[in-house]
Amino acid sequence: MARRTAALGLVVASLALVASSCGGADNNLILGATTSIQDTGLLDEIVRAFEGVTDYHVKPSVGGSGEVLAKARRGELDVIMTHSPAEEDKFIADGEGLDKRPVMQNFFLIAGPEGDPAGVRGAGNMSEAFKRIAGAEETFVTRGDQSGTHIRELSIWAEAGITPQGQSWYRESSTGQGQNLIVASDKDAYTLVDSSTFTVFEKKVGLRALLTDGAKPNVYSVIRVASDRHQNVNAAGAIAFAEFITSPAGQCVIADFGTQVYGKSLFQPVARCPSANVGG
Amino acid sequence: MDLIWDGVTEALRLIFSGDSYVYEVTFTSLLVSGSATLIALVLGLSIASFLAFRAPPGRTLALSAFNAGMALPPVAVGLLVSIMLWRSGPLGQLHLLYSRTAIVIAQAVIATPVVAALSTAALQGLNPNLRLQVLALGASRWQAALLLFREARISLLAAAMAGFGAAISEVGATIMVGGNIKGSTRTLTSAIVLEVGQGDFETAIALSFILLTVILVLITLFTVLQQRRPPA
Repeated sequence: MARRTAALGLVVASLALVASSCGGADNNLILGATTSIQDTGLLDEIVRAFEGVTDYHVKPSVGGSGEVLAKARRGELDVIMTHSPAEEDKFIADGEGLDKRPVMQNFFLIAGPEGDPAGVRGAGNMSEAFKRIAGAEETFVTRGDQSGTHIRELSIWAEAGITPQGQSWYRESSTGQGQNLIVASDKDAYTLVDSSTFTVFEKKVGLRALLTDGAKPNVYSVIRVASDRHQNVNAAGAIAFAEFITSPAGQCVIADFGTQVYGKSLFQPVARCPSANVGG
Repeated sequence: MDLIWDGVTEALRLIFSGDSYVYEVTFTSLLVSGSATLIALVLGLSIASFLAFRAPPGRTLALSAFNAGMALPPVAVGLLVSIMLWRSGPLGQLHLLYSRTAIVIAQAVIATPVVAALSTAALQGLNPNLRLQVLALGASRWQAALLLFREARISLLAAAMAGFGAAISEVGATIMVGGNIKGSTRTLTSAIVLEVGQGDFETAIALSFILLTVILVLITLFTVLQQRRPPA
């Protein structure tokens, strides 16, 4: 009996210890973020900086833009950072989100093998490059997960007038941005990737940046989840985060990120950071 | 192969340089998986005692369920626990999602069937007359249970080790319900997944070696305990 009581006591004590490590409910802010923000390491930096100036505890929920928006529609997130403009606009038009503000950007690029068998390097634009890959039937690896990158990729295929689904050279990886690059590298394939993730993985994969889409930057925006739709949403926390990330302090976290390791900012903040020298 | 060697060197460096990040995620792993194992032991042993000693009707059916539960897919457990803990879910008001407690719950759900199934088998393996004899000699139900636990101690500790192993090596459900938050819900396993996602394979391998070392040390302790002669 005594032993049983002691075991129960241990369980209760350990649960209490575990529970005590969590803050109160009002202090918790659930941030939906995309895999490129996590895979570059920026997410940890943003969370650290924001928690340093507020009392909120940030709980990141990471997935492709599609997954993040779907969770936000259920009211499971307070504020989101995504890069899927058309889906974001629909999210807001449906009354699920509000106050969309651009935060930072990078560029999409086509990564592929050094030898470039499809001749992507010489293509005039993205859809022309996709036509060449399809024409040469060279392997193309797609995220296939409704992420912002996947949505952009599908729009380029549509522009090129090609239906890649079901083709033998069109492979689906269903992984995050970083893993997708590794899969593509392993298969000596072409893929679409954002420039920030590519910079982080450049030395680890055998792929080259062949064509950058300079015409249409990849814009990451912050959106607050509509608190009138979902009563449990932490509206005050969401406002605090949106204000922070678009403020000079937040923009400087983004501008500084990567300068030490890569010699340049990985993401370009939309507003200038007054103190930093923002590189490429 | 170079990568693995570099990873081992890096693991040793991290351990002996007292890297705070590594110690923190190791502590989190031990705390949540230790708690989950304790819960699984209490629940699992209770279930096993009930099934083995009371022989309730439908025991075979219940046992089949727990035996199948040993193969419970962690990702399905993670999804179900997530939905229960979502704000819109039945336990949403507890605000447990993305906390260490959420990971403890998910890992306990995964480890309990393992402990229950293996412990039931251990207790059923005892001579059925033993319990009757002990009770006839005037032992209370609790005393009888403790004596039988001691008798089946080797198999029960094996069940505890299997439960702990299932908990500490788990990652799918851990990330889903815990969120992989630095300084809070980042465990050794979820840190490894993150490092792989970030392409830092050397650190990922180093963390893997640290995880293996932690498991080896703890399981060795368990095994020494298991192989000790029973107290007279």
